[in-house]
Amino acid sequence: MASQNILGYIVIDGTEGQMRGAALASDMRGIPVDFRYTDPVRPTRLERILYGSSLDTYLKEELMLESLLDSIEVNPQIWLCNDADLLEPLKVTGKVKAVMLSESPHVPLEAKGQLETTSEPGVFILQAAEKGAPVMIEFPDGTRQDEIQQAAQILTEAEKTMDILEPFARIQKALASLSSGGN
Amino acid sequence: MNLRKSLARKLFRDINIHRLDEAFMTDLIPTHKVRDSGLETRRITPSVKINISKFPGLAQKREFAVRIKSVNFMTKTVTTRRFKIKRFTKQDIRVKTLQKFNMKTWSGYKKIIAMPQERSNRLKFIKTRPQVLNNEMILAWYGPIVDGAVIKLALNKQRGTLLVWYNPRSRQFNAKGVYLIRRLGLGSKPEWRWV
Repeated sequence: MASQNILGYIVIDGTEGQMRGAALASDMRGIPVDFRYTDPVRPTRLERILYGSSLDTYLKEELMLESLLDSIEVNPQIWLCNDADLLEPLKVTGKVKAVMLSESPHVPLEAKGQLETTSEPGVFILQAAEKGAPVMIEFPDGTRQDEIQQAAQILTEAEKTMDILEPFARIQKALASLSSGGN
Repeated sequence: MNLRKSLARKLFRDINIHRLDEAFMTDLIPTHKVRDSGLETRRITPSVKINISKFPGLAQKREFAVRIKSVNFMTKTVTTRRFKIKRFTKQDIRVKTLQKFNMKTWSGYKKIIAMPQERSNRLKFIKTRPQVLNNEMILAWYGPIVDGAVIKLALNKQRGTLLVWYNPRSRQFNAKGVYLIRRLGLGSKPEWRWV
């Protein structure tokens, strides 16, 4: 069962021939409640040939995502990612609302909590912060209107006490630090 | 006879080739020229799919690889678009199981709990700014910050961001913002002002 007031963040990072991922569950202040990360996976040349173009999808969407979601010990009320490829599998595997969050170049909307549609289906501009730029939020196909409204409410509520985009950068830093051997 | 059928017949009598991918075709293009005979040879290590029913014991494995260790083509019957292959020698076909990707997850809680959160300067989004004295200048606004939970604040002067360390045991949820104000004049230090 999903825990109220817990946000889940997923980052899967693939650079320099290796891939690794992490999941952070935080409270509404951005304070971590749980944090799990994977070992880096470095496919060999043979594996790249054999799996072909499906390799990244397999690693990201099946292997890493499922491992991370299985290992995390709290169930967030919403999963947030910054990678469009993760959105659909996150909704299916995470079994709760899933949203892709990104920065928006849009000028601030008039009111906090305001949600504006864009030309792309499933993509919205949300003015989550009272003082700050709006964010771009994208939903998986088939997300109902009431789920969109609920997600927007959760994010607006969280933005009162934290920067909802900030944990992505923190996770990246943690992964970089872990890769370089920091404990 | 097309390349696929020809290769299948000559190389893999017991193996049904379902796919020869582009990499295989590329591998056939010679890169080494033998000057004396004018013969062009090239070692290939193509990836192919095989009919696992021909290999008892493999059928239960989810993933395995077929590696053709070394094959020299020398036959007149196989012709590619750009050149003729005059002879081939079947040398070695290996079937080995692929190791499954090893995936472990670890708890990094201790690592991430020690890391600060970072707030960027949102002064440009503040519509109503506080009144300041003539010799004061507002440099930045950082927020939201739960001031009752803060252990430490540090200004990242390079990035112009504020680093915030929270006490994870804190029960405070009341968020505020903080202005960074500079007093003009010799020796005066910037001042934090909570709002």
